[in-house]
Amino acid sequence: MRQIGMATALCALMGTHAVAEEFKWAGTTDPQTLDPHAVNSAPVLGFLNNVYEGLVRRGKDMTIEPALATSWEPIGEGEGWRFKLREGVTFHDGAAFDAEDVQFSYERASGEAADTRSWFSPVASLEVVDPYTIDIKTNAPNPIFPDSIANWMIVDKGWAEANAAATPNKEEGNFATLNANGTGAFKVTAREPGLRTVLEPHDGWWGEAEHNITRAEFTPIQNPATAVAALLSGDVDFINPVPIQDAARLASNPDVNVIQGIEARVIMLGFGHEAAELKYTGDAGKPNPFQDAKVRQAVAHAVNVPAILQTIMRGNAEPASQLVSPAMRGYSEANAARPAYDVEAAKALLAEAGYPDGFSFGLKCPNNRYLNDEAVCQGVVSMLAQAGITAELDAMPVQNYWPELREDNFDMYLLGWSPGTFDAEHPLRFLASTPNAEKKLGSWNFGGYSNARIDEMLPIIQSEIDDTKRQAMLDEAAEILQDEMAYVPLYVQPLVWGVRSNVEMTQRPDNFFILRWVTVN
Amino acid sequence: MSTSIGLRLRNALDSDFAYLFLRSPVAVLSAFVVIVLVLAAIFAPLISPQDPFNPIELNLMNGFTPPGTPNAFTGESFWLGTDDQGRDVFSTILHGMRISLFVGVSAVSFALLLGVTLGLLAGYVGGWTDTIIMRVADVQLTFPAILVAMLIFGIAKGITPVEYRDQMAIWVLILAIGLSDWVQFARVVRGATLVEKGREYVQAAQLIGRRPGAIMLRHILPNVLSPVLVIATISLALAIIAEATLSFLGVGAPPTQPSLGTLIRIGQGFLFSGEWWILLFPSLTLLALALSVNLLGDWLRDALNPRLK
Repeated sequence: MRQIGMATALCALMGTHAVAEEFKWAGTTDPQTLDPHAVNSAPVLGFLNNVYEGLVRRGKDMTIEPALATSWEPIGEGEGWRFKLREGVTFHDGAAFDAEDVQFSYERASGEAADTRSWFSPVASLEVVDPYTIDIKTNAPNPIFPDSIANWMIVDKGWAEANAAATPNKEEGNFATLNANGTGAFKVTAREPGLRTVLEPHDGWWGEAEHNITRAEFTPIQNPATAVAALLSGDVDFINPVPIQDAARLASNPDVNVIQGIEARVIMLGFGHEAAELKYTGDAGKPNPFQDAKVRQAVAHAVNVPAILQTIMRGNAEPASQLVSPAMRGYSEANAARPAYDVEAAKALLAEAGYPDGFSFGLKCPNNRYLNDEAVCQGVVSMLAQAGITAELDAMPVQNYWPELREDNFDMYLLGWSPGTFDAEHPLRFLASTPNAEKKLGSWNFGGYSNARIDEMLPIIQSEIDDTKRQAMLDEAAEILQDEMAYVPLYVQPLVWGVRSNVEMTQRPDNFFILRWVTVN
Repeated sequence: MSTSIGLRLRNALDSDFAYLFLRSPVAVLSAFVVIVLVLAAIFAPLISPQDPFNPIELNLMNGFTPPGTPNAFTGESFWLGTDDQGRDVFSTILHGMRISLFVGVSAVSFALLLGVTLGLLAGYVGGWTDTIIMRVADVQLTFPAILVAMLIFGIAKGITPVEYRDQMAIWVLILAIGLSDWVQFARVVRGATLVEKGREYVQAAQLIGRRPGAIMLRHILPNVLSPVLVIATISLALAIIAEATLSFLGVGAPPTQPSLGTLIRIGQGFLFSGEWWILLFPSLTLLALALSVNLLGDWLRDALNPRLK
């Protein structure tokens, strides 16, 4: 009798196991919006990669593979690219996908209101050839163009227009901020900003499902210790990131696996280059010392990166010397050395620049965006103090942080950058080009750094097919940025994911969590 | 002059109050703990080995030094260890306690001033004044004090400009806790005033034509003060805990001026990674402070209650 009872219980257990594969995960940051063109940041794009799709997508090894386009080929002598679109694809609401949607999404994502417009700076025009063929004409030959549009997600034209969301609205939001209608493997069935977002498989998806999930729920958990506790107790199946101080302890727990890797993201300090005056502290209104490259170099010498890596990052990160990590294409081997930690050199540079007694300024920092971001900023403040300059730290959640930066409310700030194309050209376009809304350049260059030679080289780098020549120019750009210390690169952020041991998944170096590669055993 | 002070001291030591105090080990011990902690907080800048909020004095390489063992890189040693930024935990506790006590005492003083004034008015004037004041108090009593404090804190935070938020945080905290706490004072004082109002000495004062304000302050107030003293002591413990709770939830004292609650919140992040000292010592300090103030308040209530004698 007892055995039968056991067997029934076992059956019941296995039965529920096979039927409903609920997957719950938690992250520090809630995606600010569900609009794929409103905010160009990894938490948003990474999350929406499960819901929306682009013409191409990245595979487990980051290679480009077909998604909504089945094939593509260059047109003529570097005039552009022709994409053949996939037939029989439907959006979550059942509408059919065709070239009209691609054209609409191009206009939507490259328009003035879109945060993603820098992606389209090489594009001259998009032409519809037939309902399943489009031509994208580029300003100059662009060999890496298909690599650069994996995060350009396609929105249904009819849906967006019917819901008054034909243009993205970053500040106030619109229908597309809270609702999504993509072609991806998962559809959003519930969205409560800051609380939870529920995804369910899209039955009409064109692809072959690798996952076995029937329902997935994302919850933002801001407190890292709470997230760890939730993972250990099984309340969630996956957390990203694992607080770096807890990685060792979690790894020793048999119920949990820690997946560790090096992210493509470089953490750096940025400056107000354009501002004529300091904006914060008692020195507000005085001339901005950061306009002088010597002061920026002094900052680079004053920050003890090995100490940050040793204590705050617990030996889990690598120092960075330029805007991309060594794993990226176009990394400059010639500029691999980072300015040494040398307080005396920093003081000498400050004296040379005319600030022997230092000065004080405001440092802005997010407190829930990067691993231990606020702790890193606090460390930077005390290191700068030892070199004689006083920083007043203002740390805030990322929802407030980007608007502050966009309004130029900083003297110095912390930024992490992960090149979406995995190429050194990407940060040049976003961070080092003179900001130019019309040419869609420098859209994340908050400080307004400007260098004529870099502006001149960027289009040549974008169209250069010869790898040696291209690398020579990327080396030159890296050298300029290092000499002028436009940004102070600190370190390459590690990726630390924590997952219950009954779950299998793939970690991609861009820190995107792809739900369709998850299997719950 | 000196003999009169000596006399007063002798009288004080001979009083029932002092006798009861010295006969109660709990009272003596908790008073001793409170005095030590308050003195430590007041003289924190003099006795703390490091100014934890002066970035020049911090060395990141000292981060996560366990208590009493020398740091592996710098060889420096810290009595209660260091946090992630290399701050001496002992120094942060002393400075944090300063803020906790300052907020607690200020909030209770504010609540006392407000509650006693409104209670006297309600009890003595009566009528509509009484009804309005006491109904507001009743409504507020239906909300937990911490919720009221969070509400006030949220509103104040919303209307202060971003630049001043950190500087204002401490004052807003005092306002929020004080406003959430005045009701008890008002109720007790009103009750006692209603009793005193009918006494002969008050009638006598009314007959000789003293103004109501003078009667309330000079005649009634001194006679209702002993329960107020008891409530104030117990409220102080509650205010310290309320401040710690708000700061723990991240809505109180900012990390640039951490109170004990903020320190506990920061320490909680290292709970799983083995750096127990960052969490444990601020928590123990808060426990010792709140518990001894509370025990002192309890004892005071018993000692001042004629019915228990």
